[in-house]
Amino acid sequence: MPKPNRRVAICGGGIFRPDLWHGENAEEGVATAYQDLLRQCPNLEPDDIDAVMMSYFSDHLNQQLCMGWIIQDYLGLHNKPGYRVESGGSTPLDALINAYYLIQSGFFDVILIPGWEWMCEVDVASTNEMIASAADTDWDFPVGGYYNAYYAAMEVRHMQLYGETCEDLGRIAVKNHNNSTHIPFSQWLSQHGTAPITLEDYWKSRLVCWPYRVLNNAVMSEGACCILMAAEEKVNRFTDTPMWITGVGLGTDSMRPGDRTVDFVYAGFKDEAKIYPDFVKIPKTPYPDMANFASLHVAAKRAYAQAGITNPLKEIDLMELFTPYDGVELCLYEDLGLCGRGEGKYMIREGIVEYGGECPVLLSGGLTSTGHPVGATTLYYTTFLYWQLAGKVKEMCGPDGLQVPNAKRALITGHGGTGCQGGVIIFERD
Amino acid sequence: MEEEKGLTEIKLKVRSVKRERERKYRDYPAVVDKSTAAHDFWEPIVHLGLWDIKGHQIVKGPWGGGTVEQAKKRAPKEFMVIDRASFALYSHSYGLVSPFFRGLLEGKLMGTKCPKCGTVYCPPRAHCWNPQCKVADCFDNWVDLPSAGIIHTFTVQCLAAAPFEHMLPFSMGWVQVDGADTTLSMLLHIRPKELFIGKKVNIEFMPKESRKGDLMDLYAVAAIQDEKPPEWACLQKDPKEMESVENSTKATLEFIKNRYGIDNSPETRGW
Repeated sequence: MPKPNRRVAICGGGIFRPDLWHGENAEEGVATAYQDLLRQCPNLEPDDIDAVMMSYFSDHLNQQLCMGWIIQDYLGLHNKPGYRVESGGSTPLDALINAYYLIQSGFFDVILIPGWEWMCEVDVASTNEMIASAADTDWDFPVGGYYNAYYAAMEVRHMQLYGETCEDLGRIAVKNHNNSTHIPFSQWLSQHGTAPITLEDYWKSRLVCWPYRVLNNAVMSEGACCILMAAEEKVNRFTDTPMWITGVGLGTDSMRPGDRTVDFVYAGFKDEAKIYPDFVKIPKTPYPDMANFASLHVAAKRAYAQAGITNPLKEIDLMELFTPYDGVELCLYEDLGLCGRGEGKYMIREGIVEYGGECPVLLSGGLTSTGHPVGATTLYYTTFLYWQLAGKVKEMCGPDGLQVPNAKRALITGHGGTGCQGGVIIFERD
Repeated sequence: MEEEKGLTEIKLKVRSVKRERERKYRDYPAVVDKSTAAHDFWEPIVHLGLWDIKGHQIVKGPWGGGTVEQAKKRAPKEFMVIDRASFALYSHSYGLVSPFFRGLLEGKLMGTKCPKCGTVYCPPRAHCWNPQCKVADCFDNWVDLPSAGIIHTFTVQCLAAAPFEHMLPFSMGWVQVDGADTTLSMLLHIRPKELFIGKKVNIEFMPKESRKGDLMDLYAVAAIQDEKPPEWACLQKDPKEMESVENSTKATLEFIKNRYGIDNSPETRGW
């Protein structure tokens, strides 16, 4: 475990809200988010920014290569060192971790992380096709595959092994959509208003790929977010309520989920490989197979070790998980060690992850409701966590905001491909 | 050299759907609309035939690392290079696992076996990924595999990416081919009410003349006719769930009929 050289904090986030469509194009949207950040951090001068770490995943959704250059130029920051980080859905989380590494290295003190995605220029079926080209196009795509289907099949395996039901997936969907109505920047709120939904609404929503219904799947969005990260020496200039990064972890897994039946690099999970819940009769499989997420499991272990966390459920106040499909959330309860393997279903059934529960998960609503413009996604949810730890939720979201009282420590994940890439960051306040 | 046959493209009658755009620009009506005709014309066209293999070549070339001279000294290998349309016509090499795809054209299923650790790969790997084996060469170590396997997992799709939309509804999944250690993704020509994890399947090939050299050349069918899923099977366990899947697939069939003029019902296509 390398010893960090100095403390690094998130000093604020600026938002251009996610929606199904914006009249503004990407650079105008990022500029709007940057303006918002400048308002949040009134002392921030462009000269303070040492480098720019850009987060966006697609080149083909807008038929524009090197959009990062457009963005840097548009913000007037084109005299700064800067480049793009890309790793599918994990892009924004990896951009954050990359910026953290650079500040730790001592080369830079203050880094701006702009993230964006404009996903709705092409129709949904074509967007799905373009995103699916992040899967193996020789082996997993040509059989009618795309991410909804891959994740659905993976969830079917988890469901068969551990016995959660479609209703459990529905409960997660209802929780997240209703949390989303408390976020005034939410795409769900923009499209559907603030009326809460029920399990009945869930059953009525259209089946996409069994067991996933429309309400279980990430939305397509356009939106942008800018995060400011700084070394401890500079933090006070920008904020009185820094959110310190106290643990980071990255993980990867096989490109094709189908290969995870013989995942040699994860043969190290020997202790966990033996764990089977009593009710599993058939078929048996070693952890994680293609049912759970090894990349997130190792990423969390690394982050917990750095932050000194031994009991995440007790020691972390709230979590923002990157869950493009609701089964991922259920699996991550297990992979992040909030509960034992196969026990994810009890976390939602017993309300542990609801607002007011022991460890609320996705008070933001997350990717299935509040929005998922890929490159901006984790940056939004980092901003929401920043408000939580700063105690500013009511100030930013209004009196209905779901502030966790006295929140001190939070966790966020990133998740790319079919769990091919994963990352975890632990945030803490003073 | 085999004589090249003329191109046959699927011709589909397609009706445009406007719903999506109306959902996007929901706040106000359009001020000027000189785009609906373009969408009517282009949207269906771009959905057709993408990712479909239009042709292929088998070409000889040098292989392996080292210097140019070292590479040229080795006996060349044959690579299958497919033509796949997506924004442009890509000529993409299947690399050292080309024999697998040439096998598909012949209706044969093959895997590679690592000479060091003995792992059998299907999908084949040209080099072993077991870190102990240090990317050992597997590409000259092919094993014939039977056309039979077990469903590792599956889904029932009522929505698909653009190139496959006209085939809806269908099921894809991963199948562990007998004798292989990894699992291969493929279409499952099996009705939802019969689908379960652990089900034995046979792998069948498309008629020889319509094989193109990708995984669409094969599909899985039930090994046991009219097999009743076991009581623990997660899809059929809850009759309410099964009913909802059947209603959704029916609605999807209706949508595809309206949009593409194609009848994908089990009665016509047999699964």
